[in-house]
Amino acid sequence: MVIKVNNLVKRYKELIALDHFNMEVKEGEILGLLGPNGCGKTTAVNCILSLLSFDKGEIEVFGEKMTPNTYNIKRQIGLVPQEVSVFNNLNVKENIDYFCGLYVDDKNVRKQYVEEAIEFVGLKDYVKFYPKKLSGGLKRRLNIACGIVHKPKLIFLDEPTVAVDAQSRNFILNGIKKLNEEGSTIIYTTHYLEEAEMLCNRIIIMDKGRSLVSGTIEELKSMITTSEKIVVGFLDIEDEVIENMKSIPHVIDVEREGEDYIIKFENGINNLANLLDFIKANNLTYTKLHSQLPSLNDVFLELTGKELRD
Amino acid sequence: MKNIFRNCIYQGKNLFRDAGFSFWSLIYPLIMAVFFYITISGVMNLELENINVGIDSENPISYILEEIEFLNVHKVHEDEVFKKLDDEIDAFIDDDLNIKVKESGINQTIIKEVVEQIRQMKKLNRPFDKYDFSVDYILGRNQKANSLVIVFYSLIAMVSTYGVFAGIEVVNLIQANLSNIGARINITPLKKSKFLLSGVIVALLLNLFANSILLIFIKYVLKLNLFSEIKYSAILIIMGNLFGVALGVFIGSSNKKSDSVKIIMAITITLFLSFASGMMNPQIKVMIDEKAPILGKINPISIITNNLYRINLLNSTKSVGEGILILSLYCVALIFTSYIFLRGKNYDSI
Repeated sequence: MVIKVNNLVKRYKELIALDHFNMEVKEGEILGLLGPNGCGKTTAVNCILSLLSFDKGEIEVFGEKMTPNTYNIKRQIGLVPQEVSVFNNLNVKENIDYFCGLYVDDKNVRKQYVEEAIEFVGLKDYVKFYPKKLSGGLKRRLNIACGIVHKPKLIFLDEPTVAVDAQSRNFILNGIKKLNEEGSTIIYTTHYLEEAEMLCNRIIIMDKGRSLVSGTIEELKSMITTSEKIVVGFLDIEDEVIENMKSIPHVIDVEREGEDYIIKFENGINNLANLLDFIKANNLTYTKLHSQLPSLNDVFLELTGKELRD
Repeated sequence: MKNIFRNCIYQGKNLFRDAGFSFWSLIYPLIMAVFFYITISGVMNLELENINVGIDSENPISYILEEIEFLNVHKVHEDEVFKKLDDEIDAFIDDDLNIKVKESGINQTIIKEVVEQIRQMKKLNRPFDKYDFSVDYILGRNQKANSLVIVFYSLIAMVSTYGVFAGIEVVNLIQANLSNIGARINITPLKKSKFLLSGVIVALLLNLFANSILLIFIKYVLKLNLFSEIKYSAILIIMGNLFGVALGVFIGSSNKKSDSVKIIMAITITLFLSFASGMMNPQIKVMIDEKAPILGKINPISIITNNLYRINLLNSTKSVGEGILILSLYCVALIFTSYIFLRGKNYDSI
């Protein structure tokens, strides 16, 4: 086990930021910590890294108790913080070299690692640029390079794609996958569902400082009653007909979302065919119709009763 | 050691390229120097006149005083002393080398120093002709005005403490609860103490560099020759630098206010101490020396100002040791208190 967190409690005066939080991370996985803003993701990471004191609980990293002085463990960790945390008056290469030098003593190895990190984040054309001259996306890439340049075994990425353009986001996500393929274990905190679905082998859903559930994406989806959603756009439909839709086999609920209706089905077969039969029988005209599998948002919605929004 | 050297290089680059450093440590002192030079030299009585000293015609030291270039020696009978002190002479020296004055001021201080020197030489039984008084006072005489000199010594003393800004910055960079980069550095294997030590070294070196620029500017551009005794002056300026950096580390570590608030705190403290040491108006220093001399003794910028004045104009080093001791105590106290604040290993909140 790379990380083991047991019953972690962290209070900020009256506010309980982490409420008996539990987490386990296995070697080689990408674990997603998913939850809305303020749910305790960053606090959990900071406690694990021994940046924050905590009130109760136990944390082990690489089988040892993590403290601010366990430098042998720190050597194996890389952090990409939520905020861009680099020296404003050092250029791209100097920043990466500085952070690499805190881990790697050998000059030649360091030079090689720095070149590789620059290549990895695609900043080759910007090595002489100061951070303030970089766009938001490029700054984020620099932030990542500083955290991964020493090739750590364990990497914490705290919402690394916040406020970046689509191109940089894809670049970053692909890079994270590559890091994992090269052997790093990754803890990825995010409130973007698509990113978690795309990247993570396993996800812990957090809310109000607690870990609500954890598992693979399939495991999480199987925990909820909705197994299929069909989105339909009708030209004209009466409320009574909508109400009658609930009599279609396996329908759990019908919700209106803008001009569309979302019909939720529990586990069953022929849901789409049954719906089409209903449409034909009621002489309805539809403008669009497509089936969706439940998303992590549905999981979150069903577990917490609220949507996971930005 | 290698780590410290590497950290010095990168912290040095980061600080040297910082706009705040460039302004406060390099440009601002030059602006102040020009400002003081223009305003004060314009309004002061520029030429220092010779000092009028009264002495009984029978006094055995009269021949020594007459040899001193910048003294006008007046033969005064003891009965007339009080009358003459009103307008003709600055001080009267009696046969036992006691000094009578009506008011205190720079001229009286110089006379006191001369008499003190004569006393010492008498005690040591050294011939007076071996001592060249004019060498020690020639600078004072040649300066445009002693007041201007005090202002410049005070300015030098103030900027010697400007390592305070770098001190604040280095703490800001290492404390996870003060900056994002602090959080990042705290999870690396670099020990906090090494980062701090590197930062302090860099702060000292860069501020000394900035001080050198100011001194060169004063000497070669403003053409003011302020230093006759380099060794002690350098020690005092280095102590000022140490005090400044220690103060910065203390301000940085003692509270969680923003960087800009801490900078304002540093500017306020150094400006106030400089004001009290006579930078804005030399009369303030004279007044404090008269009314509350202890303030002059404990004000670090006054300590540096007074000693620079004494050693370079009055050729007196007698209070240098005491000044260095007090500044050292300040440094130790500030660093120790900062250590208490900084030793917290992890934070309640960041």
